[in-house]
Amino acid sequence: MSNSPRTVVITGGSRGLGAGIVQSFLDSGDRVASCSRSATDQVRLWEKEHGDRFLFVEADIADRTQSTAFAKAVIERWGSVDVLVNNAGVARDGILALFSDEDTDTVIDLNLKATIHLSRQIVRNMLAHDGGRIVNISSITGLTGYRGLTVYGATKAAIDGFTRALAREVGSRKITVNSIASGYLRTEMSHGLDDGQLNQIVRRTPAGRLGEPDDIARAVQFLVDERNDWITGQVLVIDGGLTC
Amino acid sequence: MTDKQDSILALIQSLLERSDKGDVVVTVDSPLHGDEGLALDSLETAELSALLEDEYGTDPFGAGLMPETVADIVAFYSGEGESVPA
Repeated sequence: MSNSPRTVVITGGSRGLGAGIVQSFLDSGDRVASCSRSATDQVRLWEKEHGDRFLFVEADIADRTQSTAFAKAVIERWGSVDVLVNNAGVARDGILALFSDEDTDTVIDLNLKATIHLSRQIVRNMLAHDGGRIVNISSITGLTGYRGLTVYGATKAAIDGFTRALAREVGSRKITVNSIASGYLRTEMSHGLDDGQLNQIVRRTPAGRLGEPDDIARAVQFLVDERNDWITGQVLVIDGGLTC
Repeated sequence: MTDKQDSILALIQSLLERSDKGDVVVTVDSPLHGDEGLALDSLETAELSALLEDEYGTDPFGAGLMPETVADIVAFYSGEGESVPA
């Protein structure tokens, strides 16, 4: 296994699951670039402690101009990208019959269209630099459905389809593309669920707890390991057994 | 032959070698597609586009053009790309 640091791009890395994935790759000695709409105290700490190998750009990647500027900033600084983790996402819960068009656009623009746009830019760089790894953070709600998360679940199911198609397109060029269908984590994304809903999820989860960001980060590290070049186009479910 | 043209030919040759087509000879008149030319498929065309952008900062495909020959690509970087049909 190579010990040379990789250049890793992680969207939505300022908090929650994204922050956990950023921390994991900083811990493994890699160069990490991340973005979100605003910096957090955690981001400022990383900039102070790892300024030579941590790049943060305030960007709303649902805005294509800002997404392009982010990708260019990474490539200008480090030349090529080895790993892309499409993590940025937003959830809006609500029964579809009462769901607004504005919320629909917000969820689709970030979860799906922004992922496609940034992936396109980074794939071009990977094609020019002889390979790479892409991991899309999906959700079990795209596999099983969850009441009140119709649009969110639809975007995650779409991301799984995007994963499979892109894996077929670029597999011959040493680029692997996989999804991680995450279960319910103890992060801001689950704050829309009340205690009753969270307790119900825990009761139904064989592992008996909600997930932690590090549960997902370890799976990301596995999928992007350079030895794992025969795993591509897959959706890896990490949910404590909830959907088994 | 200009330095830029030499550089473009070398870049395309390196792409062909990566695609196990190293025996194909690239000339400025070579068509990019079809058996009479370099026979680039869609993925190889995407790779060429990415390699050109990586090397020169822009590329004719990304600019919305559809070059048919190596000469069309050379012309793009000579500032003559406007004449290449989209």
